[in-house]
Amino acid sequence: MVLVLAIGDLHIPHRASDLPAKLKQMLVPGKIQHILCAGNLCIEMLIFLFPLNLCPDRHFARGEYDENARYPESKTLTIGQFKLGLCHGHQIIPWDDLDSLAMFQRQLDVDILVTGHTHQFKAYKHGGGVVIIPGSATGAHISITYDANPSFVLLDIEMGLRVVVCVYELIDGQVKVNKIDFKKTATTLPAH
Amino acid sequence: MSAAAAVEASSTPRKRFSGLRGVRWRVDLGILPSSPSASIDDLRRVTADTRRRYASLRRRLLIDRHPPKDGDASPDLTVDNPLSQNPDSNWGRFFRNAELRKMVDQDLTRLYPEHHGYFQTPLCQAMLRRILLLWCLQHPEYGYRQGMHELLAPIVYVLHVDLDHLLQVQKPYEDCFNDEFDGITLPENNLFSNYKVKRASDWDSGIETENTHHIMSDSRSLDEIDPDTRDILLLSDCYGAEGELGVILSKKFMEHDAYCMFDNLMDGAQGVVAMASFFSPVVGSSTNLPPVIEASSALYHLLSIVDPFLHAHLVELEVEPQYFALRWLRVLFGREFCLEDLLVIWDEMLSSSNCRLRGDDAEYNFRVLCSPRGAFVAGLAVSMLHYLRSSLLATETTTTCLQRLLNFPQNPDTKKLIEKAKSLQEVALVSNMLPSSSQRDSNKGQFRVSSGYSLPSGSASPVPPLNVLPDGYWEEKWRVLHKDEELGEQSNSDQGSAKKKLAEKLGLYRTKSEPLKVKGALNRSSIRQILFDDVSSDIGTVENHVTTECCEAPINSNNLNVGDFPVVLADQRTSNWIVDETLLSGDNSVVFSKSVCPHGIGNEHEIDSVKSSVTSNSFLSDNDEEAFNMEEPRSQNASNELALDAEATSSRVADAVPEQRATPNHWKSFAGTFQWFWKFGRGSNEASRESQSSSDARHANKDSFDTTTCDGTDNSSGVNKRIEVGDKKMMHALRNLGQSMLENIQVIETVFQQEKGKFDTLDNLSNNILGVKGQSTAIAALKELRKVSNLLQEM
Repeated sequence: MVLVLAIGDLHIPHRASDLPAKLKQMLVPGKIQHILCAGNLCIEMLIFLFPLNLCPDRHFARGEYDENARYPESKTLTIGQFKLGLCHGHQIIPWDDLDSLAMFQRQLDVDILVTGHTHQFKAYKHGGGVVIIPGSATGAHISITYDANPSFVLLDIEMGLRVVVCVYELIDGQVKVNKIDFKKTATTLPAH
Repeated sequence: MSAAAAVEASSTPRKRFSGLRGVRWRVDLGILPSSPSASIDDLRRVTADTRRRYASLRRRLLIDRHPPKDGDASPDLTVDNPLSQNPDSNWGRFFRNAELRKMVDQDLTRLYPEHHGYFQTPLCQAMLRRILLLWCLQHPEYGYRQGMHELLAPIVYVLHVDLDHLLQVQKPYEDCFNDEFDGITLPENNLFSNYKVKRASDWDSGIETENTHHIMSDSRSLDEIDPDTRDILLLSDCYGAEGELGVILSKKFMEHDAYCMFDNLMDGAQGVVAMASFFSPVVGSSTNLPPVIEASSALYHLLSIVDPFLHAHLVELEVEPQYFALRWLRVLFGREFCLEDLLVIWDEMLSSSNCRLRGDDAEYNFRVLCSPRGAFVAGLAVSMLHYLRSSLLATETTTTCLQRLLNFPQNPDTKKLIEKAKSLQEVALVSNMLPSSSQRDSNKGQFRVSSGYSLPSGSASPVPPLNVLPDGYWEEKWRVLHKDEELGEQSNSDQGSAKKKLAEKLGLYRTKSEPLKVKGALNRSSIRQILFDDVSSDIGTVENHVTTECCEAPINSNNLNVGDFPVVLADQRTSNWIVDETLLSGDNSVVFSKSVCPHGIGNEHEIDSVKSSVTSNSFLSDNDEEAFNMEEPRSQNASNELALDAEATSSRVADAVPEQRATPNHWKSFAGTFQWFWKFGRGSNEASRESQSSSDARHANKDSFDTTTCDGTDNSSGVNKRIEVGDKKMMHALRNLGQSMLENIQVIETVFQQEKGKFDTLDNLSNNILGVKGQSTAIAALKELRKVSNLLQEM
């Protein structure tokens, strides 16, 4: 019963100054075990500040505006029964294209792919696995669209083969929570 | 175990199942029926029931965080998401249970490390953890306390031992009770069945089983087995009543049984000694002490009866009983004896019944001694103390004494201890029932001894509300925040005020609670406050002198001294502003405004002790009267200041009076000035009582105004010279005074203009009194004031 926080595209301080207070107050220490940060923090100091210091196990992928050039372009890790992949998404073109993302996911060979860059929450399941885009936690500006609601995603990875994705979005000043269940089939054919 | 059985056999008639501790304890704790006529089947049925209860409890309390989607009520996600700090959410409960689990685990990992072969195995640990968690969830008012695991451990251990014993007993009779019917009847198959049953480790025992197996093959019928063994076999027969659920010695249901026993032990089963009460800080009903403290004092009480010398010695060393008794009582001596000895002790303890010996209304000294079991506990504790007697008497300080007590010797003669405990048990029971005066006194002594500890407990809060688990830090914050937000929404306040409330609640209090309505007044009054602060600090003594003069003054009814009137004026200033704004009554305002000389108003912040001024009682009553006179609702500011005034001045009453006579007359030159000030103040005060004062007084006032203005000018000129020589500070202050006087005068004049029209319309008596003549005199006085202020400014 592991809680993983998927967050990204903060764009602090260039496009936003901080997370919205209501979202911030949801994140309290002691509950979250891992943090997956899709990228575009942008300044390095943020990793010492709340909320990125909620837990010791953090993973970062490099976004195009990140100051730290040494973050990896993509990363994979295993939590419980699931393999998770992390990538910012600006490298996968066309941006926000299902097929390209699916291709990347197959390339990484992961069950759950966490990306960002579009600043819009999305979570869907396709043949190869689950793609989760947590959106921008600060609601920073993006050229694709004009309304980007601040959002982040909490993954509840259970002991079995189930993962529950809870998305926390700030819509019209209220935090709205949504939940999606994904079940992994017991046997997934390894990619040859 | 057999020794214990032998002891029992010699002293009391042999009890049932004495060979099986687990069963014996269950009978003693009240889980199984204790009447000798209860049949095996009855026992089995009762056991099955208790197990069913536990199973349902376990199912209920294991939380399913994500109920399946096809459920009827989809949970409200704003409440039931993992990050929700709402204490009612499932997730909140989950995290709280996780906290509880962490606490339990901390203790469990350190449980009986010397018996790690059993207690530290993951299976046992998991079972212990589950039992403790479920018990704590069932009893949220107690929560988990360190030591509960030590009470549970021997229980589980005896159940385990019973199972081993059962296996031993069952071995020769396996043929009767196993379900494999293939190779039993033929004697040639003995060898095979031997191999089947042989324990891998011990081939010696294999030989033995072979032998016993031969013996067994002779007597196959149950009636020929000795009754104890028969009982055991029947207890564990899978085909008896209630089937497998009724098998009393069952590995599968060990957890259920252990939970039942633990629960009964903690709750006391309607008896007297409920172990859970020893863990709780909640005070008992009859005494004002937590039960464990009371039990400790019972211990000492018994000790004082039995061994007064040792008792006196311990009391003299200030060794409170709960220092060591807390540990002894809470885990029932689990930490003082090794496990084997402990089991013997618990045998004895549990065999004493826990029921109250006398009725509910019988008086008793100590609750714990009301039952034989409690008395045994106390008796054992005293016998332990007696065992250590010589070394305790040899200790000189509290620390060494406690060291001795807390490190009980490793291998005491438990038999002797128990025997002594039993004899003391009688004594304890008897002593508890006699509410003799001498014992009451000794009790009081006891309570005094332990009163040091009763103090913190006395302030213990009552039983906390039955929340599942105490709220964590974030949950409490959440509750507070949301309560405020609800209130804010209800009152339709905007975001800002809600935020403000939040900020307030979170401790970011604003310095001023309410906006002051009379802002203009404040600005000026603040200046005056500063002014008079400066002035007053230097002229404190002058005021005293002035008061002496004042005493002789003809108009004594309002015998204010300088100290008074600034405060009075403060009131009037504020009242003046209100009056100005609301125009209560024409002349009132006029007179008030006249009196609002800028003589340093608002000394509400006079904290200077040097500045002493007599505040006559009349002043205080002045305050009140003014408050009443002022029909306007005062602004917060005004009432604050009033209150502050009253406080400030009243605090100085005591100081002022003695100093009044003593101060030397250094500042005589200023006396004149301040006399003038004072008379103004007096006049103003009089003016405030428009209902009471007569017109004559008014006239007299006016006259005095005229005269004193002249005095004032003369004095001020005299003062001029003195001031040049004197304080620069004074100059500065006076300059400011002048300035504020001017401002005031301007205000007064504007008021006059406004009032002129109103005088004709108002019908007040006081209006008529003032009339035209009053106006002219007032205006004249104002002119004088102007002169004075100019003079002051020039300084």
